[in-house]
Amino acid sequence: MTDTLFDPKWEWAFENASQALLETIQIAILASILGCFIALPLSFYASKATNQTTTTYIIYKSFLNFIRTIPDLFWAMLFTVAVGLGPFAGVLALVMFSMAIMGKLLSETIDSIDLGPLEAAKASGAKHNQAVFTSALPQILPNFTAYFLYIFELCIRASVILGLVGAGGVGRIIETQRIFLRFDRISPIIVLILLAVIAIEQFSVWLRRKIL
Amino acid sequence: MNIPNQPLNQRILKYLITVLIVVGSIWSASGLEITPDRIFSAPGKIWILISAMFPLDLSQEAIDRIVPKVAESLFIAWAGTVIGAIFSFPVSFLAANNVSLNSLSRITKQVLNIIRAFPELILAFVLLPITGLGPLTGTLAVGIHSIGTLGKLSSEVIEGIDEGPLESIKSSGGSKLNELFFGVVPQVMPTITSYWLYRFEINLRASAVLGVVGAGGVGAELINQLRFRDFPRAGTVLVVTIAMVLIVDTISASIRRRIIKGREIKV
Repeated sequence: MTDTLFDPKWEWAFENASQALLETIQIAILASILGCFIALPLSFYASKATNQTTTTYIIYKSFLNFIRTIPDLFWAMLFTVAVGLGPFAGVLALVMFSMAIMGKLLSETIDSIDLGPLEAAKASGAKHNQAVFTSALPQILPNFTAYFLYIFELCIRASVILGLVGAGGVGRIIETQRIFLRFDRISPIIVLILLAVIAIEQFSVWLRRKIL
Repeated sequence: MNIPNQPLNQRILKYLITVLIVVGSIWSASGLEITPDRIFSAPGKIWILISAMFPLDLSQEAIDRIVPKVAESLFIAWAGTVIGAIFSFPVSFLAANNVSLNSLSRITKQVLNIIRAFPELILAFVLLPITGLGPLTGTLAVGIHSIGTLGKLSSEVIEGIDEGPLESIKSSGGSKLNELFFGVVPQVMPTITSYWLYRFEINLRASAVLGVVGAGGVGAELINQLRFRDFPRAGTVLVVTIAMVLIVDTISASIRRRIIKGREIKV
C-alpha cells in the first residue's frame, strides 16, 4: 500500500479534484465571513467593558465557551444529520467554529479597550449602544481585521477535512478514494491541497501587511 | 465645526474591502447552492436533532463503551503534546534567527511551515497505511502537527527576548552554550510552557475528531451512532466529550495564568 502513496496519478487529480478544491475555498470564505460578523455584536455583549448587566454577560460568555468546546468536525457531523449531506452542512459547521474563536479573541480584546472615549460619548448624551458603536467599535476594528484573516486561514485548513464526514469540499474525494485504498490518487490531492493552503496563507499575510 | 474628511485612498480602501466581502460571500453562496430558505429552515432542523438526543442514553453499557473512548482521546492529546514539546524545543532554537545561524534559521522555518500546512487528519491519513488503524496513528499525527505549531510559536518567543543577560554572560566569559542555558532558557520557559498547555487544549479537540478516519479516540463512536440513528447515545457521547473538554480547559487555563502571572504576593 505504501508504494502506491509515492506513485501519484497527477492527471486524475487535476481532472477530479479542482472543482472540489474550489468548493472548499468557497465554504471557507462564506463561513468565515458569516461567523465573524455574527460574532462581532455577540462579543460586545460578552465583555465586561461594554456590558454592565451581569446576567446577560454570563449568558453570552458561557454560550461562546460552550460552542468552543465542540470540535469543528463534530459540528459537521451534527449538521450533516440535521440539514443533509453537502456543503451547506460544512458552511454551518465552520460558522460555529469561526464564531467561537472570533467571540473569544474579540471579547478579550474589548475587555482591554480604553474606556475614556466611551465615557466621553456618554457624557455628551449618547445612549449606551450609540456610545459603543462610536467609541468602542473603532478601537477594535484593526484587531477584528487581523483576527478575521487569521480565522479565514483556519477555516481553509478546517474545510479541507469537512468532506470526510460528508460536509462538502475536497475531503469527499479523499474519503471515497480511501475506501478503495487508492493511495496513488490521494497523494497528489494532498499535494494540491498543500499548495492551495500555502498560496492562500501567503495572500492573507500580504493582505494583512497591506491593511494594518 | 466640520469633522475633517478621511483621506481619499483610505476611503477607497474601505469601499474596496466592503465590495470584496459582499462579492466574496455572494460568489461562494451561489457556488454552493445556498438559498435563503435553506438558511431559515436550518434552525428548525437542528432543533429536531437536539430534541431527539434527549433523554440521554445513560445505561451502564453505553457508559462503559463511551468513557474509555473519551479517555483514549485524552491520552492521544497528552502523548501528542509531549512529542510536540520534546521535539519542538530544540528545533525552535535552530529556527530563531537571534541564537541560530541565519541560513539555518531560514531553512528550519520553512520546514516548520511545511509541517504546519498539513492538518492532523490529513497527516493521520498519510500515516494510516504505515502505522495501521488505532491510537498510535492518531498520536503521531497530533505530535507531528504540534512540532510545527509549537516550533513556530516557541521560536518567535526566543526571537523576542531581552539581549541584556546574554551580553553580561558573554562579558563574564561564558561560552555560547552558557548563553543559551543561563540567558535564553530562563527567559522563554514560562511563555513556552504556557504554549505547551495551550497546544494541549487544541490537541484535545483534534484528537476527539481523529476517530473519523480510524485513528483512535471518540470520533468513531459519534459518527457510528449518528449513522445508525441512535441519537440518545450520540447525545451521551457529545455530553461526555464536552464535559471532559470543559474540565481540562479550566484546569489548563488556571495553570497557564499561574505560570504567566506568578504567585500573587500580598503586601
